[in-house]
Amino acid sequence: MNKTISLVAALMMVSGSVAAQTFDEAFNAQRGMNGKGHSFTFEGKSYTTDHPEEVAAAAPANAANAKQLLADAKAQYAKALEVDFGWTLTKGLLSSANKALDAGEFRKSMELSARAQYHSRMGVAQYHQSQQEWLMAVPN
Amino acid sequence: MLIFHEEKNEEKPMRKNIIKHALLGLVLIGASSMTLADYSADQIAKGKALYLNKKAGNCIACHMIPDADAKLPGNQGPPLLAMKARFPDPKVLRMQIWDPTVKNPTTIMPPFGKHWILSEDDIDAIVAYLYQY
Amino acid sequence: MKIIKSLLAGASLALVASITQAATSGNTLASVDPEADRLALQSFFQKRFPQVPVDDYVNGIYALDAGSREQWEEIEEFPPYEFDVEEGEVLFNTPFANGKSYADCFANEGVGIRQNFPRWDESQGKVVTLESAINQCREANGEKKLGWKKGKIAQISAYMAYTSRDNVFDVQIPNDGAKAAYLDGKQSFYTRRGQLNMSCANCHVAGSNVLIRADLPGPALGHVTHFPVFRSKWGNLGTLHRRYAGCQSNVRGVSQKAQGEKLSNLEFFQTYMSNGLVVNGPGARK
Repeated sequence: MNKTISLVAALMMVSGSVAAQTFDEAFNAQRGMNGKGHSFTFEGKSYTTDHPEEVAAAAPANAANAKQLLADAKAQYAKALEVDFGWTLTKGLLSSANKALDAGEFRKSMELSARAQYHSRMGVAQYHQSQQEWLMAVPN
Repeated sequence: MLIFHEEKNEEKPMRKNIIKHALLGLVLIGASSMTLADYSADQIAKGKALYLNKKAGNCIACHMIPDADAKLPGNQGPPLLAMKARFPDPKVLRMQIWDPTVKNPTTIMPPFGKHWILSEDDIDAIVAYLYQY
Repeated sequence: MKIIKSLLAGASLALVASITQAATSGNTLASVDPEADRLALQSFFQKRFPQVPVDDYVNGIYALDAGSREQWEEIEEFPPYEFDVEEGEVLFNTPFANGKSYADCFANEGVGIRQNFPRWDESQGKVVTLESAINQCREANGEKKLGWKKGKIAQISAYMAYTSRDNVFDVQIPNDGAKAAYLDGKQSFYTRRGQLNMSCANCHVAGSNVLIRADLPGPALGHVTHFPVFRSKWGNLGTLHRRYAGCQSNVRGVSQKAQGEKLSNLEFFQTYMSNGLVVNGPGARK
């Protein structure tokens, strides 16, 4: 894997017009091909294909962690709404996460919050990506 | 620049993306020492259910597949035939389901993995099912 | 203002876009050319469906799909919106509490004017759709606003469209303010939304008349000429912004506010794309 990445890097230097692969692009390619829990190297450092939200949801299941994750998810959802790119399922996920927290089902709550947070992070990413890409779809 | 073919809903990727994709291809050649896995009957059945389920993969909304149970498919996307020949590396097929916009920025197909429409296990099951055709 | 912010973002991206984009209508106030966009969309559909005359696009998917056209023509013989047009006429002619009526708010007393909406209103600095003009008229006369998506407002709009049938759409873009609104609407039309990551254009440009299971998405050309519509799925009459909200939530995105700036700009763009086609609303749809 290391070898391949340095080969890619070498190629990038040759063809100057190609933008270097960003971490997100590298992560997505690795996750897309391999799923979760896969290790890969990017610019000399090791990473796994787990999303930060999944890592947070795997923390010890307790009230403090569940509360924190729910608060983070709500804050991220607010950011998605701010750029007008909220997704429809997120609100329901947050409300279920809240209920699970109240019922003491911390693991369940954390998983739901993580999902809501991920949706919202992707909504914001979608907003930024769309700014760059929408024109490609226009016939002319 | 007209980015659509006359009849089919497939678009030419941008030059930049072709290059990006070629690079991805190189990564894949390096990475895919893995051979085609054998899939369990359960996994294939699960993939099929996801393929047909309107609230899950709903692949049938846009793709025909030569499975007698996949009736009245849509045709927004290409028919899913000769999958092993077209995608000798399962990782490439997996990636195409996970986020088809990498290969084709203007595709109508949703990024099932990137947007958490399906779980990673779901996507593996769909790959297993598709490889039966 | 959000629009200005995205215009600036657009400007910074123009450099990047120039690699892949020929020097035609673009994504900045300086480069966007509404008339070029309109002709490009027409030519896209003409190339794709050479046998379909441009004027026929007011019939939506039925212009392209002979199979469903016959069934639709039968429906139009006894149109499901007939009652709504009659009811709309009654509402339109019923005076407000102050003795005035809708006729007092519109040019030509509100008859035969659908083709001029949506319009850029310089004094308000925004796009005014026919439905928002109806509610502004009510408020100016001390009446409460009507709900945006169905019921009375759709009926009044249906009646006003009905009196305008066969008039040619003539949406004007008189200045940079209007052009910015148009550009914002254009961007919205081509922007992916929701968990399913789809834009209007995915289904209604590239994906038009291609099966999504049993459904055939209609063409973007002539997309708005027949609104408001009586939709069998709804079982009643609804406005364009009701349909917009439905589409946005179908792709699992939080829908934008009916008659808010974003959807009004989207309607402005879409109606401009149909300039030169005739008003044929209200319509009947699946």
